[in-house]
Amino acid sequence: MHRLRSTLARARAELELARTDGDPLPVDRLLGDLREALDLLGRVEAAAFQIVAVLVLDDDERLAELTARGLRRLGYEAESASRMRALRPREVVVLDLGLSASLDADQLVALRAARPIVVTGAADPASRALADDLGASDYLVKPVELEDLAAAIKRRTST
Amino acid sequence: MPAKLLVVDDEPRTAQLTAELLRRAGYSVDVASSGTEALELIRSVSPDLMLLDYEMPDMEAPEVLDSLRSGGDRIPFPVIILTGARHSPGDQVVGIERGATDYIVKGTDRQVVLARVRGALRERASAPGAISRGRLHLDAARGEARLGDRVLKLERRPLLMLQLLANRSGEVVTRAEVLDQVWGTSYRGFEHSLEQAVHQIRREMREPDWIETVRGIGYRLVVQP
Repeated sequence: MHRLRSTLARARAELELARTDGDPLPVDRLLGDLREALDLLGRVEAAAFQIVAVLVLDDDERLAELTARGLRRLGYEAESASRMRALRPREVVVLDLGLSASLDADQLVALRAARPIVVTGAADPASRALADDLGASDYLVKPVELEDLAAAIKRRTST
Repeated sequence: MPAKLLVVDDEPRTAQLTAELLRRAGYSVDVASSGTEALELIRSVSPDLMLLDYEMPDMEAPEVLDSLRSGGDRIPFPVIILTGARHSPGDQVVGIERGATDYIVKGTDRQVVLARVRGALRERASAPGAISRGRLHLDAARGEARLGDRVLKLERRPLLMLQLLANRSGEVVTRAEVLDQVWGTSYRGFEHSLEQAVHQIRREMREPDWIETVRGIGYRLVVQP
């Protein structure tokens, strides 16, 4: 809340200053502030309405989006991506194991901290070990039914 | 031909900006400023997809969806709800349960908006329309299916499923996709219906090789000579 207000105040001050001085608008800075403000507002709303944010990571973009849409239909705030991105606080990560090979050291650290729900095409011991290494909170074998995934998300958020 | 989209929002600047974003992505876009206007417009221009503001003075999104659905039980094109605020999960599900495909919270990154539009349009691509694959002729919109000269007696869902497989003939269609696109809004408890649908399709076609089961993944239509 505090940061949201200060971000908006900064953008307003920037605009007022530009108007007084007749300077060109610092478009990039203002856009950055607005993006940050919307992101902060999202976190405030998520906390207020107890919305669970989920990131579905799968190198198959289409499958990732299909899964994310299914989760949105169940009331989750789900996004899909085919590459790792910076995680939001308390965001639940659903990770296709196939993606883990492409991650750098920093991304691996962030993922382990998020205790991802790991989804894999194969139930072999090697995949299992890899999932354990990633600090998986749950391990699901494809094809994953949406309700099983939702159950795993519930388990993950209740601990 | 570019896909035809309909943007419905009572706030004119929001409507125009959304339309502009979509036009720059190559879509052809119409704009309506109320639920009533949207319903009128849909009668003359049938859109491929509608982006619908949740809250408007004349009606809210669920009412628009209900009006659209009266008559049939599925809306003939995907609808994405635009919500101004993050509603509680329950509220979001209201629009979804009444036939919306997806929702977008206003202020969402434009790349994400475009990705969701593309995703919903993909669903449209597998929607009814007459097609032929070898001896198989389908027109799910009219409820017709023939293999050569023989009429196949299929219920609506098996027919829609067959149409989906035929549209992507040769490609594996996952169970999740079939459930999403043929059964629409709900996943729970439909696994069994899916198997029954496959059974009915195979029985009616009398040539089981047309539908190949890809274990653990889904189904594929294989055109038979």
